[in-house]
Formats: sequence, structure tokens, C-alpha cells
Amino acid sequence: MSVEPTVVIIIDANGLGHQPGETLTGEYWVNGLHSGRVQAIEASVLWHTEGKGDEDLAVCAFWRRESERGQPLDPSRPEPFSVTLPNSPLSYDGQIVKVRWCVRVRVFLNRRRELVGEKVFQLGHLPRVRE
Amino acid sequence: MARAFRYYEKKRGNRRTGSPALAKYGEAAFFAVLLLLGGGGLALLFDALVVPQWRLNHEFVATTCKVIEKRVVEEPAADGPSFRPEMRIAYEVEGQLYSDDWHYDLRKEYRGSRESAEAILAQFPIWDAAKKNTVPCWYDPLDPKTAVVMRQSNWWVWLIFTVPGSFIIIGAGGLVYTILNWGKSAERRALLSRRSQERDLFGRSQEQDEYPAVPRGVDLTNSPGTRLRYRLPMSNSPGWALVGALVFCLIWNGIVAAFVVVAVRGHRDGQPDWFLTVLLVPFLMIGLGAIFFFLRQLLLTTGVGPTLVEISDHPLRRGEGYQIFLSQAGMLAVNCLRLSLTCEESATYCQGTNTRTETREVYRKTLFERKEIKIEPGIPLEVDLSLCVPEGAMHSFAAEHNEINWMLVIEGELANWPRYRRAFPVVVCPGERQS
Repeated sequence: MSVEPTVVIIIDANGLGHQPGETLTGEYWVNGLHSGRVQAIEASVLWHTEGKGDEDLAVCAFWRRESERGQPLDPSRPEPFSVTLPNSPLSYDGQIVKVRWCVRVRVFLNRRRELVGEKVFQLGHLPRVRE
Repeated sequence: MARAFRYYEKKRGNRRTGSPALAKYGEAAFFAVLLLLGGGGLALLFDALVVPQWRLNHEFVATTCKVIEKRVVEEPAADGPSFRPEMRIAYEVEGQLYSDDWHYDLRKEYRGSRESAEAILAQFPIWDAAKKNTVPCWYDPLDPKTAVVMRQSNWWVWLIFTVPGSFIIIGAGGLVYTILNWGKSAERRALLSRRSQERDLFGRSQEQDEYPAVPRGVDLTNSPGTRLRYRLPMSNSPGWALVGALVFCLIWNGIVAAFVVVAVRGHRDGQPDWFLTVLLVPFLMIGLGAIFFFLRQLLLTTGVGPTLVEISDHPLRRGEGYQIFLSQAGMLAVNCLRLSLTCEESATYCQGTNTRTETREVYRKTLFERKEIKIEPGIPLEVDLSLCVPEGAMHSFAAEHNEINWMLVIEGELANWPRYRRAFPVVVCPGERQS
């Protein structure tokens, strides 16, 4: 029986609330994946919207590592990341508009397949908007 | 067994089922076809228009000729005939006389009227041996039988190049965009979009870099107040709503009135068209509704005087206090007048082929409310107020499809009049004020 590969993302301070201007640090890796199957790995710190409207997305930080001939990527090796968080937009849980911050890791595999992992974190401390 | 990709897909807003790869190939093929069509059309037009004109200007040999005969050629067509001036000329090339053919310009262009063709011919006198009145002409050295007495052509002929040109611009632009985004993740595309905005000198400001996704609100602070620092602009001026209502009312009722006249004439002449009469009823109802809406807007615009809202500082910060000055003019008997600070979420989404926007009010605080007041002409109601943006409130937010908008809203309930609502947007920033 083969084990499904999974993306592991660790945010220091356990992903609890972060304040604008703070440095977000952490690391990521992929379990259960042979290095020969990975073409590239992208990691991004981003916000995106959820809710009734179509999705908006903006990237705060972006890293891409590509597998090179003779030097395949080792996805199981933890890769650290660090980024200074911007002043806005703050994480928001509204009625029809929600703003979510997350660290997203996208692994590009052979045959145009992709593996995506995501870890949500809070930027700021806004109370949830009640109905 | 699951298919590798779906040919047919369901669309749920921006979320689609089906094969993204197939969609990308389709998109690229569409733009490539446009580019090919534009390129092919451009090549054909170049061969048919540009090359002959260039040869005429640079390779045709100038000489003189005798005008022997003149005529106007009429070309019948469904939308009326067109006319072309022609003249039989005599000229010599290397000792050989050419005088059999009719000539004028290279492209044999037609005119809309006989008069314009005759006016052209009048500029070329018939050969008179006593006057020796030759006229200039140009012949093709490769084929001396081809000659013209007019080298210029109508400028509007060149407009035809806009058709293949637009195909090329759309096709090439779309193809470049598709190739640049080919195989790129949503995050990478967002990064490229941000970088292109940063390269644009006018695209981003210091405020936008400091507070991403927070609207700048420049238009909100370019009008100084009389009592306080800024006078806030209204989000939608009632004057524009009035003009819009008037234009719609005139166009709609003008068209309907034409059909009403036809229907009434039929009834008067004893030949009623009942189908037309019944069909006109709903259109008439809409027309009457448009008149009612226009009159309502007229009452609101002219009867309710201007509302002024001034504020001590802008943009607003969470947890900080501000002074507000409210002035309401007019001649009003007001049942209830209320000024509130509100926050509205706005979400735009695709539903089928339509784009819809839904708004939801998520915060409201009444700053001022007064009942049973009378406002006299020339003596506006003036109130000084204070405002505090709540500490835990979300800041203003603006993205392509989602927004969070703060505004000061004045609502009035008037005696025997429709209610009115006027909104004055403000921007709430996150973070502390910088000294």
C-alpha cells in the first residue's frame, strides 16, 4: 500500500496571532515523496479572500526552487522561510467577505500533477463579525 | 474510469470543472488564430494597397499627356450608383504612342455623386493644339500601358488597416499573456502582477506600499472644509441620478409614444390593432414608472437641500476620535434625521454570464438622531459631533472583487416626502498615526 505524500508546514509560534511588521518564520517539507518525482516547489506567504465574491489573492513573499539536471530537489529536507509581515490587510472573518492569510506550498510533480499544502495564520486580532 | 479531461464543463462563478490544460490550449489557439487572420489580412492589404502606391510614388515615370476625351463611368449598385471619372489620354514612351485606354487613378476609385466626378474631370482640359495644354501623367516602366493622371488617393482608404491591426494587437497581446502565464501557479501570477504594478511609476503610491489593499482615498481630502479640515464628497451625487432618470424617461417614453400614436390612429380610423394595443400596456406602465421615479428624484434633489459633512482629519484610525460637522439645508419638515457611521462588505461574483455585486452592512453606529424638526430656507441645521472608530474594527479594504467600505450615512424621513439617503465614504486605516 502506497502512502499519499503530504506537505508539512510549520509556523514558529504555532501560527497564533501575528502582528503587522512582525517576522513570520517557519519551515516546510514533503513527506512520502521521492526526489526524482519533483520538478519544482513553490512556497508563498499570501492573503486571499473567501466568501460570496470571486477570489482575490495577493502574494507577500514567494520562493521557487527547481530541480536541475543531476541535482534533484529533496522534498523531505526542511526548508526554512522568513518574511516580514505587512501592515494590511488584516485577517478578517466577515459575513460575505473573509480575508485569510496563509503559507502555501505547491509541489510540481511529473505529468503536470501538483500537490498543495496550506497553513493558515492570523494577521492582527480582529473579532469575528456576527450575523 | 475518470476521464483525463472533460470536454464540457460546468461554470460556477470563477470556479470551473473540466481540464485547465485544455482551456489553456483553447485560449492559446484562439489568440493564435486571431493573430494569423490579422497577419494574413495585413499581408493581403499590403500587397493590394501599399506596394502599388509605393511603386506609383517611386517607380512610375513622370511625363506629359494630351487629354483626348473625358467621361463619367456609372456603376449601378443596390444602395445607389457610384461614379468614376475617366479620360482617354495620349502619351509617348520611347517613341511609341499610347492613346487607346481610359485612365485616371491607379485604384479606380468611385465617387458618391456624378457632380463630384465631373468636377474632377473639369480640372483636366481637352487637348488644344493652339494652347499646347498638356497635363502631367505617370506611367509604369514595366507596363507602359498603365498610366495615371492622379497620384494621390483618398486618405480614408488607409483606415482599412485598423481591421487587421486590431486583430494583430488582440491576438499578439492575448498570446503573449497566455504564454507568460503558461504553467504558472496562481501565486506566481499574482507575484508577476504585483511586480508589474511596482514597475509602473504611477501605479503604486507610498501609502499603498505601506498599507496594501487599503484604498488611498485621495479624492476624499482634496476639498477643504469651512469649519473642519476636510469636506467629504458624496458617493453618488443626486444630480447625476436626476440626469440619468431624465435621459431614460425621455428615451423610453419617446419610443413608446411613437407606437402609441400608431395604435391610437388605428382606433380612430376604425382599424384597431389589438395586438399592438395590448403589447403597449406593459411598456406604458414602465414609462409611467420612469416618470414617477424622475419626479421623485426631482423632488429629492431640489426639495432637500445640500448636505455637507466635514471631518477634522482623514484617513481615520481605529480607536481614535474625530470631530464631525453636519449641515443640512433646504425647506424641510423632518420626521427623523439620522447620521450614522456604517461599515459595508461588498462582494462581486459571476453568476452564469452575469456579474453581480452583493453588499452587507456589518456595523452601524448612530452619531446623531433628531425627530420632528423643521429646517427653514437659508437657516440650515448645523450640528457638531464627535466620532470614534471602534478599536477592533476591520480597516477599509479594496481588492478586485471584494471590498470593505466605511461611510457616514445621513438618512432623512420627511413629512409627505420620500425618504432620502446620502452616503459620504471615509477610509479607515489599520495601525497607529505617524507623528
